[in-house]
Amino acid sequence: MVHLDKARYDQLVKAVWRATIILSVVTIVEVSLALSHFYFFPETSKLPINFIMAILTLVKAFYIIGEFMHLRYEKKTFLLSLSLPLILLVWAIIACSVEGAFGFVFV
Amino acid sequence: MSEELLESKSVSEHILLPAPNNHEGGEDTPMGVSYGKNMMWYFLLSDAFTFTGLILGYTTTRLMADWWPDPNHVFSGMPFGIEAPLGFVSIMTFILILSSVFVVRAVQEGQMMNKYGVAKWMTLAILGGIAFLGCQAWEWSHLIHDGMSPFYDIFYQGPNGETLKLALSQKASTPVSPGPVMFGSAFFGITGFHGLHVSIGVVLNTIALIKTLNGTYERRGHYEMIEKYGLYWHFVDLVWIFVFLFFYLI
Repeated sequence: MVHLDKARYDQLVKAVWRATIILSVVTIVEVSLALSHFYFFPETSKLPINFIMAILTLVKAFYIIGEFMHLRYEKKTFLLSLSLPLILLVWAIIACSVEGAFGFVFV
Repeated sequence: MSEELLESKSVSEHILLPAPNNHEGGEDTPMGVSYGKNMMWYFLLSDAFTFTGLILGYTTTRLMADWWPDPNHVFSGMPFGIEAPLGFVSIMTFILILSSVFVVRAVQEGQMMNKYGVAKWMTLAILGGIAFLGCQAWEWSHLIHDGMSPFYDIFYQGPNGETLKLALSQKASTPVSPGPVMFGSAFFGITGFHGLHVSIGVVLNTIALIKTLNGTYERRGHYEMIEKYGLYWHFVDLVWIFVFLFFYLI
């Protein structure tokens, strides 16, 4: 169990509010991307925008897992035992999406 | 147990030796993390598998379907009759992210052994969770009122302009695409399963708040339980950003 001193505490509080601002800004960017497609060029394919939004969501996930859930600061074996299955899950979603779209238009 | 000790004893004597602790030869803190936090992490990993299974089914069906309803049109309702595509759900996302941040602050106050700091931030986190659940209840009732259902495709238009509910009741001969029927069932299923997690999280956070105010953690000398409940709460937030991506943004 960790007990903090004042200097480290101030440092961590600052890091948390910075992560909050990053998460909020990334969410705003995602929503504005989705809405810009809806309002300004609804005729074109949404695939590139979907791709960018998926990458941005993964960035948010890294911040939540790494910073908020404190996984970045844990030991390497622990970090790998959790992050490798999670990365494989992301891969599973990508693989099944590609298979699901087989023979159809990839929307 | 040291190597020299093992070598100096015969096998039968070694069996009679008392165990050094009750952890069956394991460490107190495997991989530098206490047992409780370890188990919470691996529980959350298994929960991530469940959610991934649900989202896999959803994405695969969606990509196989001939067409899919545009989320910008479906999720455009706001209270007081305002029409803003993705407006309400963006607010919900922001509430949940902020609530997650409040729990991080509670964990940090706990590491400073500041009882009332923990209580303050946990209260804010619980209020955030309740606000999120209220928003979801409003959204669900709005969509159900608009006719969205897990059992039939409300956007289906038959050759004579009939809805799928009508077509099914008349045993229409036209083939019915199964995809958009799944739109309603996947939406209610996955957001409902996530909402169940949020409800459990609110209950857990309330337990943590009561125990903090009772001084249980202060007497124990550490606030590690706040970290474990916090891990669960961050996981709820983590799942939501993926639900937000797959249902609302894409």
